[in-house]
Order: sequence, then structure tokens, then C-alpha cells
Amino acid sequence: MTDSEIIELINRSLINEFELDPGDMTPDTHLVEGLGFDSLDFVDVVVVLQQAFGVTLREEPRVREVRTLGDLHRLVIEKKRELESSKGA
Amino acid sequence: MGTYAGQVIGIPGRCRRVASRIALVVMNICVPVLMLLETLIGIAIFPLLLVVVRVATGWPLGKIMRYFVRLYGRIWLWTVSPFVRLRVTGGDPQRLARPTIYVVNHLSLFDIFFTSVMPVFDVVICLRSWPFKMLWFRPFMRLAEYMDVERLPWDQIERRVQRIFDEGRSIMLFPQGHRSRDGQLTRFYSGAFKLAIRFDVPIVPICIAGTDRLLPPGRRWMAPANVRVEWLDPIEPTAFQGELGHIELRKHVKDLMGACLARNQV
Repeated sequence: MTDSEIIELINRSLINEFELDPGDMTPDTHLVEGLGFDSLDFVDVVVVLQQAFGVTLREEPRVREVRTLGDLHRLVIEKKRELESSKGA
Repeated sequence: MGTYAGQVIGIPGRCRRVASRIALVVMNICVPVLMLLETLIGIAIFPLLLVVVRVATGWPLGKIMRYFVRLYGRIWLWTVSPFVRLRVTGGDPQRLARPTIYVVNHLSLFDIFFTSVMPVFDVVICLRSWPFKMLWFRPFMRLAEYMDVERLPWDQIERRVQRIFDEGRSIMLFPQGHRSRDGQLTRFYSGAFKLAIRFDVPIVPICIAGTDRLLPPGRRWMAPANVRVEWLDPIEPTAFQGELGHIELRKHVKDLMGACLARNQV
């Protein structure tokens, strides 16, 4: 899976599950101020992305540093690459 | 079909436009004045009524306050009745007898008044923070045990809701959080649906159509309107399990409400 495919899948999952406007899905969009996410939504985002990518985000400390959609893209790409390298090892 | 003061039938052309303008002016003078009077009189006689109802019924303070809130809403509906044609429909009221989560779509500031037509009154309303900033309403909202779900942490919300359900009462939420700007259903937040699954209580959707014409967001003048309120049959959460069950429940409820609003378009 390429980075752009991962980003595409993240955006599509969030649009479907959280009824978001595709036009808002830019990397610099703030998750709270731009997409209107609340604290419950963050929990759901973690579950949705875990199910979509098979990665573990729930106990990932970097989740707390995520502010924008671009931050989320980068985190999932990193976790996906870590998962792939651990499987390859 | 009945008529209301804003709908002048049988008068042609210019006369009809003039009559509509007069109705509009009368409405925008009378309704705010009557609402102010209702509020002031309500505040003045509230302590006496509280004592009388408490002695007569033995109800706890919160229940009495919720009863008065519904009474306030119904009196308000009476004051706007010359200008608003209201139609209320819904399923069997007996099915609403147990703890329930009512979810209401949100079009106008006045939606909450229209929820007073529901056949139940012992309902704790969960709101964002801004209504609690209205100083003249805040003490009564506190007495009615309304919840500021924007400020409270989730674990506290769960504890309070648990107590409400244990006491056989219900809650009401506006899952959109904000009023719709274009009359369409906007995004639903998940809180109500998480609570339904967590406590295994049914969701009852309440669909309100037409209040966006009465007073849409951003407009200061009211206009005569047809308003329809319909409550749907209870939706049991048992079929929506798993980590994302609440999202599926939310989507299901939103689809049902969308269909209801489409057939109730006025």
C-alpha cells in the first residue's frame, strides 16, 4: 500500500463513518476546529482506523499529539510501515 | 385543512400581500411580548406553584420543574398558535413509558418548545453550554437537572444518565449539536447512541419540520409557518453491537429521521 493509498483510505473511512464533507479533507484541517470532532469522536477514529489498517493505535502515545488531518495521515503511515517491517522481520 | 393568521386564502393579489404583511407585523410584536409576559409571570409565581404542586403530588423538585418546563412550552405554543399551524403525529404513547433516549433534529431556536407536545414530560434535556448562559433560564434548567454535555466529562455524563434511567426517567438530546443552516440534517454526533447501547435503552427519534421557516438561524424576524412534529417508534439498540455499533445505530436513526422529514416537508 502506497502512502497516497493509505491517505485515500483514511479520508474515505472518516468521510463514511463521521459524515464529513470531502472538501474539508485537507492535511492542514484541524480535527477539532475544522472537522468538529469531540472527545468521543477521537475514540471512534482510533477504532475505525485500527479496523481499516490492522494497526494498534489505542495505546499509541503519539495519538495525543495529533492535531490535524495531516498529523493523522503521518501517524497511520508510520504505524502501517512499522507493522509491515515487523511482519517482514 | 385549517388556516392560520399568516395564510390568507381567498383574497387576491395585493390585498393578500398587505394582509400577510400585517400578520407578520402583528406576530413579531405579539409573540415576543407574550413570551416576555409568560416568562415574567412564570418566574413571579413559580415559588408558590412549586409549594402547591409539591404538597399536592409529593414529586421531587426536579420532576416538578420538568413539568413546569413543559407547561411553559405549551403556553408558548398557544401564544404562537394564530401564526403556526401545528400537526403532531406519532406512535403509541404507551411505548414511551420506560426510560428512553429521545433524539431531536435541530432547525431553530424554537425546536425545544415544540418538544413540549410529547406525551411524556419527565425528560432530562442534554444541551450544549450556551443555553446555560441565559441567566433568566439557568436556575430553572439547573432545578430541572438539565445536563451541560459540552462541559461535563464523559464519565460524569454516564454516571448521571445511569441515575436518571435507574429512577425511570428519560433523556433528550439534539445529536446535530447545532442548528442546521439549510434545513437539511447535518452530521450527528455519537453520544446519544453510545448511551443507548451502554444502558440498553431504546432511541425514539423526534422529527420536527418547519421551524426553520418560523425562525431560521441568523434571522431576527419570525414568520408564520406550518410545523410538523412526529415521533417514530422506539429503536432497540440490541441489534447494534460491537466496537462501532453506536455508529451503525446513529446512521440507522439518521436515515429514519431523514425519511420522516422528507415526507413531512411543509
